Amino acid sequence: MTTKGGVQYSKIAEIKGPLVVVDDVDNAAFDELVEIETTEGERRLGKVLEVGNGKAIVQVFEGTTGLSISGTSAKFVGKVMEMPVSKEVLGRVFDGLGRPKDGLPDPIADKFIDINGEPMNPEQREYPKDFIQTGVSVIDGLITLVRGQKLPIFSGSGMSHNLLAAQIARQASVVGTNDDFAVVFAAIGVQYSEAEYFRRSLEESGALKRSVLFLNTADDPAIERIITPRVALTVAEYLAFELGMHVLVILTDMTNYAEALREISAAREEVPGRKGYPGYLYTDLSTLYERAGKLNGRKGSVTQIPILSMPSDDITHPIPDLTGYITEGQIVVGRDLFRQGVYPPINILMSLSRLMKDGIGEGSTREDHAEVANQVYDAYSRAQEVRALAGIVGKAGLTEIDLKYMDVGDVFEKEFLTQATDENRTIEETLAILWKIVSKLPKNEITKIKDKYVDQYYQGE
Amino acid sequence: MGSKSTMEQTIDKILNKSEKQVLSDLKDAGLNFKQNLDDSIATLESEYDKILSDGKKEADKIEKQIIGGSDIEARNKQLLALEASVNRVFTTALEQITNSDRNNDYSNLINSLLQESTKILGTTKVKVYTNAKDKDVVQSSLSNFPGSELSSEIIDCIGGVKIESKEGAMKFDNTIDAKIERLKPLIRKEIASKFGVKE
Repeated sequence: MTTKGGVQYSKIAEIKGPLVVVDDVDNAAFDELVEIETTEGERRLGKVLEVGNGKAIVQVFEGTTGLSISGTSAKFVGKVMEMPVSKEVLGRVFDGLGRPKDGLPDPIADKFIDINGEPMNPEQREYPKDFIQTGVSVIDGLITLVRGQKLPIFSGSGMSHNLLAAQIARQASVVGTNDDFAVVFAAIGVQYSEAEYFRRSLEESGALKRSVLFLNTADDPAIERIITPRVALTVAEYLAFELGMHVLVILTDMTNYAEALREISAAREEVPGRKGYPGYLYTDLSTLYERAGKLNGRKGSVTQIPILSMPSDDITHPIPDLTGYITEGQIVVGRDLFRQGVYPPINILMSLSRLMKDGIGEGSTREDHAEVANQVYDAYSRAQEVRALAGIVGKAGLTEIDLKYMDVGDVFEKEFLTQATDENRTIEETLAILWKIVSKLPKNEITKIKDKYVDQYYQGE
Repeated sequence: MGSKSTMEQTIDKILNKSEKQVLSDLKDAGLNFKQNLDDSIATLESEYDKILSDGKKEADKIEKQIIGGSDIEARNKQLLALEASVNRVFTTALEQITNSDRNNDYSNLINSLLQESTKILGTTKVKVYTNAKDKDVVQSSLSNFPGSELSSEIIDCIGGVKIESKEGAMKFDNTIDAKIERLKPLIRKEIASKFGVKE
């Protein structure tokens, strides 16, 4: 944090979309924080996007509505945007720029940290391998989340991803350790009702005291959305690497973030890439997603669950596509299951946690976890094939074993996948349901589980 | 009649058969009953365990809600009380600065503020603004800054100067108010630590 003031320039050359071009600027720096002051004395924050030839292009976070060339001035503060951090931020609610939104004063800062973060030294990264229990069976059992992982949820408009996000935020915990656990929740461009639901949900469950909320609602300026995930991750990094906590960061909805990025890119007249998103969308997303991880010699970890709604449920859309390149798997919310009223409607056949194998098994969950999960994946996949076949030949045309697989599919969706929004299942309960599903099959169909586990846990005839 | 009639024999046969059937049914019913009872003991036990574990979960949830809620409420009240105290300290300090003597030290301070400001703007050809109380001190310091002039316009501040380039395109606020505003987050931490708030 600098205590030196900045020079205020009053020559505004142009206001274009979310950008302000300031003339005759001498000493501005890239990414420097700028205070825009209107004739009425209203202050807005911005940052320098480009400098050169005596001009500085400033991106105004709160939008340029109401600004005029005459009477507006820009003060270059002489520092980048920083987030005040301390343990006190836990239990607090901030807006998308990190300002208190709960009627309480600014937190007394222990440190002021650059919101862009410092890249993690790849050599210092520790491979993620510790289990996080979300209390949601389908995630814990089949798409297991591990500390330090980045595992996005790909959803679609109108589906229940926000319910799921709030449930994970309320229930997530690290088992088998006394380490502190915290949740940093960044709502990016969500509706007011959704933001209120997140806040109330954490407050009423008592989980707010271990959470930090950043709420950028849909009616907040779109440009603010560029900052929201960054301030959230800055707080998460502080809690994890300075205070040694295990931090789960939930970012919803990253599609709104990408839209804001596109808006700025269009205003800067950059050459558009796929669907108008800037060509650097991949690089930009990676500056956020790569802030997840664990460091050698440090106790804490940052785990990320970015949530994005795929326009028209299109998984090949640039946002999920590029996200998928960076993250370690994906959880896909399925429209068909959602229409059937299943909650959480997760399509496990399209979902995958790439780090699951390292976070489960003896010592973290249970020794049979990987094998029973593989068997259920296999059985559910077969159940889907049988359902498709039944649609053509009818149930009467199916063999006895086909009918058993159909039964497996039904039990899977009704008893394992379906879960109440306030139902927090332990990993033991989740594994018990997985074995119940496997036990619907005759023993000779169980090919992916060792005999000793079958003898121990199989409950069939 | 020495021997039973055919009819009686038939009746006996039927009776025997019926008796055996009834006894066998009773035995089966008994076994079924025992089996059902045995089965229901397991079900009952698992239901009992489930009710207990659900109840425990619900109790844990409510406990977390109550403790979490009251923790947050207590913490928020503490934050508000702390902020009120910090603000009181600020107000008192500002009053003291406002009423301080404009002595030689203060003159040196104004000189250094002017030096800092002209260095940042990169020119001494500036218009200087100050409050009514500091006008004389500032005026006497301006001789060190060729091309500078004191504006007749009086600004409202505790002390210090505000400078503007001659053409009016650049401004720099180096009043004590602005300095305090910039330092406020750091000062708040210092004051809070005096009240026993740990970092």
